[in-house]
Amino acid sequence: MSIMRVRWGPQHPVSGQWAFWLDVDGDIVVNMEPDIGYTHRGIEKVAENRTYIQNVPVIERTSVFDAGNIVFGYVQAVEELMGIEIPERAKYIRTIVGEMSRIVSHLYGLGLLAIAVGFETMLMWFINDRELFLDLFEMLTGARITYSFFIPGGVLHDLPQGFYDEAMRRLDYFERRLKDYWKMFFLNRTFVTRTRGVGVLKREDAIRLGVVGPNLRASGVEADVRKDEPYAAYDQIDFIVPTEKEGDAYARGGVRFHELEQSVSIIRQALQKIPDGRVRVKVPITPTPPKGEAYSRVETARGEIGYYIISDGSDRPYRVKISAPSFRNLLAMPFLSRNVPMADIPTIYLSLDLIPLDVDR
Amino acid sequence: MLKVEEEVVKTLKQTFPEYVVEAKVQREKRVTVVVKREGLVEIARFLRDSLQFDHVASVSGVDYPEKNELMVVYHIWSIPKKVLIALKTSVPRDNPHLSSLISVWEGVNYFERETWEMFGIVFDGHPNLSRFLLPEDWNKGFPFRKDFKLRTKPE
Amino acid sequence: MKNSMEKREGRCKLFHFEIGKIQDWKPVKDLLNWARAWSLWSVHLCTGCCSPELMAVACSRFDAERFGTLPFPTLRECDLLFILGVVTEKMAKRVKITYEQMPEPKYVIALGDCAISGGLWWDSYNVVQGVDKIIPVDVYVPGCPPRPEAWIQGLRLLQKKIMEGR
Repeated sequence: MSIMRVRWGPQHPVSGQWAFWLDVDGDIVVNMEPDIGYTHRGIEKVAENRTYIQNVPVIERTSVFDAGNIVFGYVQAVEELMGIEIPERAKYIRTIVGEMSRIVSHLYGLGLLAIAVGFETMLMWFINDRELFLDLFEMLTGARITYSFFIPGGVLHDLPQGFYDEAMRRLDYFERRLKDYWKMFFLNRTFVTRTRGVGVLKREDAIRLGVVGPNLRASGVEADVRKDEPYAAYDQIDFIVPTEKEGDAYARGGVRFHELEQSVSIIRQALQKIPDGRVRVKVPITPTPPKGEAYSRVETARGEIGYYIISDGSDRPYRVKISAPSFRNLLAMPFLSRNVPMADIPTIYLSLDLIPLDVDR
Repeated sequence: MLKVEEEVVKTLKQTFPEYVVEAKVQREKRVTVVVKREGLVEIARFLRDSLQFDHVASVSGVDYPEKNELMVVYHIWSIPKKVLIALKTSVPRDNPHLSSLISVWEGVNYFERETWEMFGIVFDGHPNLSRFLLPEDWNKGFPFRKDFKLRTKPE
Repeated sequence: MKNSMEKREGRCKLFHFEIGKIQDWKPVKDLLNWARAWSLWSVHLCTGCCSPELMAVACSRFDAERFGTLPFPTLRECDLLFILGVVTEKMAKRVKITYEQMPEPKYVIALGDCAISGGLWWDSYNVVQGVDKIIPVDVYVPGCPPRPEAWIQGLRLLQKKIMEGR
């Protein structure tokens, strides 16, 4: 048995912005070590140098794929520190934008999983359908990806005229396409053979390693922040949280796909039940919360994110700690990469939906 | 209303009176406990086995230069009870050694490695405290401490 | 009387001399520049958070392949390097190695505010303040992230630059 050390580097067609060292024996991987830090910008230190509202675009760049949900946790923690309560209409608008952000992120993640097994058609279709929702974001704020719509105290402004009709039209079209996608993608024999039984994560291992999000739910654990600790308007909307039992790459993709269907239903209900009223409470331009600390949890598309903010009474935070979902899922990667052929490595990490921007912050 | 949280606080105060400095309920689903660093591993094991705190949420360091100490905060979530506990302990700046909790919760592996890299807190018993996020030839100190200053105007 | 080998050698030297002169001839030079501009193959090196726009531009709505650009995995056959966003100290070494491994002629497009001058991260300890401190840049495209239409305009500017022979 002769072991060779191979580097799967940052310049690679399927790697993304991180690298890893593989110890291979022939074609079988014996050990795997991640090598991260290629996009480490020091967000937590830079955030101590800006005021609370100036921090919103900075925190948003933690993970641009899911920009709505990422900022959600930060503004909730600041509101808890300041002790203010936002209006009902703002809660519903936050729910709608958060779910649209989840749809956009899941489509990207499933598209990357399709490349890993060599199915480029599905990548084209998913990225194209993402454009439906990016146009809605552009109608709302003017920007496609980094919209910075949530601020402490509510949202920036109200929904524009014509948003309701446009959103319903696009949701109807998207729901029809989802039925085709299930048949073309998840019942496709090649995809099933390449992902069934790959990277199996059992229930006890998932909890022990601290894995979060759809990866945890695909291993049989029912844990979702929207049900455990309801925030925004989630306690007034009916939805289910999909779980699977097998814990392999196919199950993880399947959980994400079923969450897409649930998100469409949540947006529809929120658009119909939304009450009238204000969308923002008056907050000074440089808020100065009293001394204290707060921890807020939000369910993003990749998993649960935690924000631990300590305030010392001034207008800049004393410490901002971001506990990002991909950083917590990273520990599963060396665990699952033992005794697998080298061609399965991209399938494993793209099914865990690891984004290096989240990991490095 | 806050029965589960108050019971956790009461059990901890009764079982470890010599190690627990402060224990209180902050709000619904949030409990804070400050302990001395000698009893950290024992309390952590008790939390995992008897009080069912099993899912690691985050590990962070905080720098308090005026008190001359570094604080480490472990946030752990309990899936059956649905409560989050913040386990805090402090180390002095000139001897920042602490026992690693990797034997209790395996999920703290990468978190402790990052805290060492950014603050300089040494976790005794951790299998691999080496460079993680910063470049390989970094030699400018610990970035997240308060005496590491950022530049004041753009280049 | 020269034998056949010497005759062939003589003909080869004449051939090379003629090819060299032909390449400097203006119509041939314009043809080569046109071919180079409409078949720029780009390197797959994602550096920062502008990468979702890379996917959007390469796929069917804002199709960049109709301009000839194709993200190609092998580095030695590409001639265009996209710098997408933030470049950190750790990534800077790899960007330089990637640039040196590409064969001539090669071009660089810097996309996003962070690649031009550091952008939002002006006070970060780990961010290079502008990628032109490491490698020479041909076209700058501002934005955070730049819209796909701006991306394609940057590509067209580079094509115009190549066709004019600069």
